[in-house]
Amino acid sequence: MELNANAFGRNARKALLDKTLQEALGRTTGRFLAHRDAAVAAFPEFEATRERASRIKRDALDHLDTYLARFIEEAEKRGAIVHVARDAAQAREIAARIARDEGVTLAVKSKSMASEEISFNEALQGAGVTVVESDLGEFIIQLAGEAPSHIIAPAVHKTREQISRLFERHLGEPRTDSIPELVRMARRHLRAKFLSAGMGVSGGNFLVADTGSVVLVTNEGNGRMGTVLPRVHLAVVGIEKVIPRMSDLPAFLRLLPRSASGQVISSYVSIVTGTRRAGDPEGPERMHILLLDCGRSAILEGKYREILKCVRCAACLNVCPVYQSVGGHAYGWVYSGPIGAVLTPLLVGLPEAAALPDASTLCGACADVCPVKIPLPDFLLELRSDAREQGLKTPGEIAAMKGYAGVMKRAGLLEAIERIAGVLGQFFTKGKGIGGLPYPFSGWTERRDFPAPAAQPFRKQWKIKRGARG
Amino acid sequence: MVNERESLFRRLSAACGGRGAAAEEPLPGGAPMAPEGDRLARFAETFTAAGGFLLRGPVEAAVSDLGEMLRAEGVTALFFPEDDAAAREIAEALVPFGPFHLTTGAEVRGGSAAVTAGFRSAEAAIAETGTIVETSAGGKTLLPGLIADVHVSIVPAALVVARTEEALAAFAADPPRNISFLSGPSKTGDIEQTLTVGAHGPKKAIALLLG
Amino acid sequence: MTYTTGMDPKGPIPVSLFFTCLADAFSPGVCTATVEVLERFGATVRVPLSQTCCGQPAFNSGNRKEARAMARKFLLSFPDDGPIVTPSGSCAAMVKHGYPVLFRDEPRMLARARAVGERIYELSQFLVDVLGVTDPKSDFSGKVTYHDSCHLRRGLGVIEAPRKLLRAVPGVEFVEMEESDRCCGFGGVFSLKYPQISCRMTERKVERILATGASYVTSGDLGCLLNIGGLISRIGYPVKAIHLAEILAGKNAGRGDAG
Repeated sequence: MELNANAFGRNARKALLDKTLQEALGRTTGRFLAHRDAAVAAFPEFEATRERASRIKRDALDHLDTYLARFIEEAEKRGAIVHVARDAAQAREIAARIARDEGVTLAVKSKSMASEEISFNEALQGAGVTVVESDLGEFIIQLAGEAPSHIIAPAVHKTREQISRLFERHLGEPRTDSIPELVRMARRHLRAKFLSAGMGVSGGNFLVADTGSVVLVTNEGNGRMGTVLPRVHLAVVGIEKVIPRMSDLPAFLRLLPRSASGQVISSYVSIVTGTRRAGDPEGPERMHILLLDCGRSAILEGKYREILKCVRCAACLNVCPVYQSVGGHAYGWVYSGPIGAVLTPLLVGLPEAAALPDASTLCGACADVCPVKIPLPDFLLELRSDAREQGLKTPGEIAAMKGYAGVMKRAGLLEAIERIAGVLGQFFTKGKGIGGLPYPFSGWTERRDFPAPAAQPFRKQWKIKRGARG
Repeated sequence: MVNERESLFRRLSAACGGRGAAAEEPLPGGAPMAPEGDRLARFAETFTAAGGFLLRGPVEAAVSDLGEMLRAEGVTALFFPEDDAAAREIAEALVPFGPFHLTTGAEVRGGSAAVTAGFRSAEAAIAETGTIVETSAGGKTLLPGLIADVHVSIVPAALVVARTEEALAAFAADPPRNISFLSGPSKTGDIEQTLTVGAHGPKKAIALLLG
Repeated sequence: MTYTTGMDPKGPIPVSLFFTCLADAFSPGVCTATVEVLERFGATVRVPLSQTCCGQPAFNSGNRKEARAMARKFLLSFPDDGPIVTPSGSCAAMVKHGYPVLFRDEPRMLARARAVGERIYELSQFLVDVLGVTDPKSDFSGKVTYHDSCHLRRGLGVIEAPRKLLRAVPGVEFVEMEESDRCCGFGGVFSLKYPQISCRMTERKVERILATGASYVTSGDLGCLLNIGGLISRIGYPVKAIHLAEILAGKNAGRGDAG
């Protein structure tokens, strides 16, 4: 996907003025959150399961070399062909080669955020393969030529009217304002694709090391269709999705659907292992697993390792007041919200996304809901510090910080400035608030008052009242 | 490419190096306490909460209600796996409650336009989540739960387990190509966050609990 | 009642006041109110005047070098023992959680930071959890709603203490707002870097406040109150933003220093 993260400020302002988007965001995040909260309240073991999942993931990451090797071994034993891509260019090349070698002309794809990272669809289209997104939300935005705006609900920003117009234009379907009718249209249209596609492409929610299995957690059934019917199955998955054992899976099955949409379990969980066995009436003859590094091994090495625990539930998006205000597109890449604000700079490089770690008040709501206990606010703080170290801050900000720290070095100097500001402030505002300040404080005073400095700072008052000893 | 794999593992070993064996301490948050009381009652609750419809056996008692439900969905064609005797029994028993005719998975897969009901025996059911478990083990077909408009699962009571762990344990040792957990009908909320059933998978999930 | 080590439960409790640069300069009434309340419950309040700023704005914006300089000065400004009380959840959280991060590569400073972090308290936390106050003995009156500032609630885990105190004031009609724990949009430098998003969040907070019909909104963080109060006063809503310390001190003189 094209990267546009540093335009966050501009895109956020646009998003704030987009009434349709604002309504959609409010509705979507509100519902997801309400359902999530209800599901968590009804699950007394939630906290214990969170701790369990967090530890399993930490173990998996601490020993990723061992577990990933085991995963590959087990998958290959059962007929899978495993590929490794260091970066997006290599991944695209491998994907195109697989499609060519397998003689695929039509691929039907279920949801994969990792495939967005590498611009998978373009790669296949370049190799003469038609790629059809089958996840309803992805299908809709594919028709619209847009990028997903939410990790699990890619078309949150679209109204039924907009969708109906898309279906009219691209599928020749009559206009309707019935959501069930729109879903039926998509089902009819995509059914034909599933039945004729040469290759099904999926992501992977989990990779189980001790069996070589790929686990898909879905609600629509498209993930199943695409991994049972076509002759070839290609799974595109980040290396960090490994969990050690099949017996580790239930903890994540308890957390992911609840955190994402408040469900006890999603409609479908598919655990697929290798190719069809002799005598199986369905199943792919060929299975390819494309493992993506694409910056993950570098993260593994450093202080941000825990970000790789992410299970892509999007709870942090739903609870984030900044995401709720501006939506996903403003973040300018595949991942948005708090996870995006950390993961994007780590995967694409901080200089290309320095605007994102600042796009937070550090309120901590995300850390409260993360099912695998990723310390997101700590990572945002860390990235801001990295930005300073890497010379990405404006000279103005640095000068202001140095000035402020310089004043704070000496209580006497601070007091002197406070007293001058107090006198001036009271004189110019006559005790009322300040209505207008120069940049960067104009950001505040455009819409909000700010009090004038007090005539006498507290430290001066204290000295007078109690004597200089304090 | 083997070279790329080697270089990945060099990077991973460097990142993971010297971390020693995995932690041995027991993890918290294991399988939740199996709730008191009837597994079957719990399954009925959770399957219904997931959007499924539960009927209780025996076949003779349920067949009339089942026929009505299928007619209401506009079903005309019924199919079942060749080797699934229980599924065959029910499908055949339903024909008089029609207008139903019997068809095959192959025909449906070939693109038949009829509204279909697919019948299949469940290999397990999970009370914790309201889940039907189907696998491809032993060469079994998954078409009824995959491409039918209505999916009817035959669930022998003895195969209902309390928790997810138990269902997985049966298949984890040497998994078949496909283990599927099906919990209710196919759903989507992708349009205006409004829950709609019947995205790609079956629009209606019915479980017939026998015994 | 819990006391920190070495204090005589029957005698006066020596407490150091960390009055915060923001209140010092813009809302000194908050500082005097804090002193008043502490003295009311038996504390002798020392005010080390060499204190300046905990360094939070520098730390939060990633400017750790400057933050460290201020943190060092902070740690030197306070006596070696005794509780340190501040009317700011975010400043207490900065010392408690931010300082160990700042000094993670300096073992000596880290140890000192940790030790100070153990004995720093936000005001309501200190009153309820340490002094065991159940009735603040305030003569404040009015309909009041409470905003959970993010660092007080999530950083320090202080949720019930302010509410217990407010509910115990006979003249206060306490009403909970919806989304009381939703961020008000201040976020320090965030309000300057992304002012439109910040304002949108503040607007939503103000909507919730207005829905309660309260005449006062209070909180344990002055930054939040200046933010919320600033929007309220620009538009002219009939609500005053007032710091928790001022409610607890009492005397309903419409002393909305915070806006």
